[in-house]
Amino acid sequence: MTKDRTDSVSQKTGLAQTLSKRRGRREFLIKTGGMLAAGAFGAVPLRGWAAEPVNIGALYPTTGSMAQIGVGCVAAAKLAVEMVNDAGGIKSLGGAKLNLVISDVQSDTTVTRTETDRLITGNKLSAIHGCFASALTLIASEVAERAKVPLITGSSSDQLNKGRTYTFTPFARASQFAQAQLQMSKLVGDKPKVAVIFENTAFGTSTSNGLKELAPAEGVEIVMFEPYSAGFTDASPLINKVKASGANALFSVSYLNDLILIVRTVKQVGLNIAINGGSGGFVIPDFYKNVGKLAEGLQGVAHWNHDMNPDCEKVNAEYKKRTGEFLFEYAGGLVAQTFMIADALERAASADPQKVREALSTLDVSSGYAAMAPGGKVKFGPDGKNIYGRPVGVQWQNGDLASVFPKEDARAPLMKT
Amino acid sequence: MWETVAQAVINGLLIGGIYALVSIGVTLIFGVVKIVNFAQGEFVMIGMYISFFLANQFGVDPLVSLVVTMPVLFVIGVLVQHFLIRRVLGPNDMPQIFLTFALSLLLLNLALMLFSANYRTVHTSYSDEAFHLGGLYIPVAKLIAFVVAMILSGALWVFLHTTDLGKAMRAAAQNRDVATLMGINPNRVFCVALGIALALAGAAGSLLMPFYSAYPFVGQVFVLMAFVAVVLGTLGNVIGALVASLMMGIAESLGIQYIGADSGLIVVFAMLLLTLAFKPTGLGGKAR
Repeated sequence: MTKDRTDSVSQKTGLAQTLSKRRGRREFLIKTGGMLAAGAFGAVPLRGWAAEPVNIGALYPTTGSMAQIGVGCVAAAKLAVEMVNDAGGIKSLGGAKLNLVISDVQSDTTVTRTETDRLITGNKLSAIHGCFASALTLIASEVAERAKVPLITGSSSDQLNKGRTYTFTPFARASQFAQAQLQMSKLVGDKPKVAVIFENTAFGTSTSNGLKELAPAEGVEIVMFEPYSAGFTDASPLINKVKASGANALFSVSYLNDLILIVRTVKQVGLNIAINGGSGGFVIPDFYKNVGKLAEGLQGVAHWNHDMNPDCEKVNAEYKKRTGEFLFEYAGGLVAQTFMIADALERAASADPQKVREALSTLDVSSGYAAMAPGGKVKFGPDGKNIYGRPVGVQWQNGDLASVFPKEDARAPLMKT
Repeated sequence: MWETVAQAVINGLLIGGIYALVSIGVTLIFGVVKIVNFAQGEFVMIGMYISFFLANQFGVDPLVSLVVTMPVLFVIGVLVQHFLIRRVLGPNDMPQIFLTFALSLLLLNLALMLFSANYRTVHTSYSDEAFHLGGLYIPVAKLIAFVVAMILSGALWVFLHTTDLGKAMRAAAQNRDVATLMGINPNRVFCVALGIALALAGAAGSLLMPFYSAYPFVGQVFVLMAFVAVVLGTLGNVIGALVASLMMGIAESLGIQYIGADSGLIVVFAMLLLTLAFKPTGLGGKAR
């Protein structure tokens, strides 16, 4: 099976190369009026003295169910490339500009595989970033590993750090989110009694089990642990149960629609409870649009937030000017990632993907746009994990997502609801 | 203790009212036209989107938009009957099943294309409010939806039993051939039946909008419950579907409370199976 796949990949590579060479040759022949030597010189850049741009692949779902976030990611990716280029490009490569090659992975795993393959074989890429959803990133990373092109991602799945050498994850891992959530519950009260409700899917079960395992070590008591079927019509019976459990904090591992119902019902019941919605759909501008004022005071965790430090705020201001919305977690993280790639290119003084990988593996930044991460430091371990990586605790305050935890990243105090 | 039970029953009853609007539509179409409308949920979805856009663009309260959704869906129902269902009414059931199923898929994917998979919500002043009685609470938006659903169901009952057209519909439901011999135009009756059924689905959509999100798949959530209610309440029996819907709402709510939040439906389906085992025609008495 694996062998077959490798074969097909190499075949495609060959085919794509011949195709592009043939196409290039034809264009050249037309342009120069039929020089016979055209084929041999086809690969020479026609721009002459200008440094050849460095291609960066960007894989995001800009259509399909995840399109909304994917489109935001592409806007941020373009902004980041502009920022690098406006600052003079890659100086060690003669001021080479970054060239963003965007590919739509259509929120679909099969498409992600073929698109990643096509992107790599059709372009001379130095590095890739993508794909937002962990399920998609896992596949893109497999393809990139085989093609030996470094991939840098904000996706949180711990699996991305297993058996991979070309995959880099500068931000907090899924396993770290649970711990941060538990620690945040201790800010609300000295004796947190937590009710965990989660949708009975792989995502819900694995996240909630992480919470359950870590709770004793953090000194947090879990008084209710309840799966529910995703996409319910009515959250009242569930909240009825939460009320009966006497919990003072509620962790809801849910997607947007269920979470909206849960938040509304808590309000209707008049239950005074601190809600932590985790990450994902909870920390995007759309959430506030949907939930409105009710979102005030809700807590969550993110791998990036737009107010963590002055650099983040600067990028956020620019992004807001362009799109009208604040720079959300995933999009902000990928701006930092673009600067990490630029830093690696600078030190590698080469656009060769393998040299870029080497340079990424020795990346060590603690200032500038590349260091825009909770904690403000990025250095990769042998598993591609940022050894300083940690999540940031956030809370909706006055329609904005404020960093509230831990102290070093906090820009606003936690509002106790 | 009693408070928890009472609250669970209230919750169940209120959501049961919405199930009722959807299932009454399904059972009415089955009773009169003798086809199963798999697309009923998608018409709820259309009702929700109409309400959403009216609220979003013109600031119309979703409850006020009932006066738009119901007539619009009524017309759609008449058109669907006249141009689609009429063509496949015959001795063979298969084309009818595929027709409504295809309609469901078509509408679903059309909505995905036009509106994307995003969740759309509407905020009203009463969306998040609730009446508090002792330790119990009754969400305002759901109470309104329940009351309107009951009024509409009652109005339908009155229509079916007092007007000529209503009586003609019941006659056509009992025996189409004899009804035709009595001078009843079956297509006209069927058009009205489809129209009313879809108008009810549209009403359900508008009533849901203040407290539930609209998204292309939303109809699927409600149509499953509607089918169970239709079978439980005896196929074609409007009052049966209404009672069954309310019972199912309560059963689901109690199931979530006392068995588990991921197994509320177990109680509903256990109730269905037990009923069918002892009373194969459903709660509503004799079949047809």
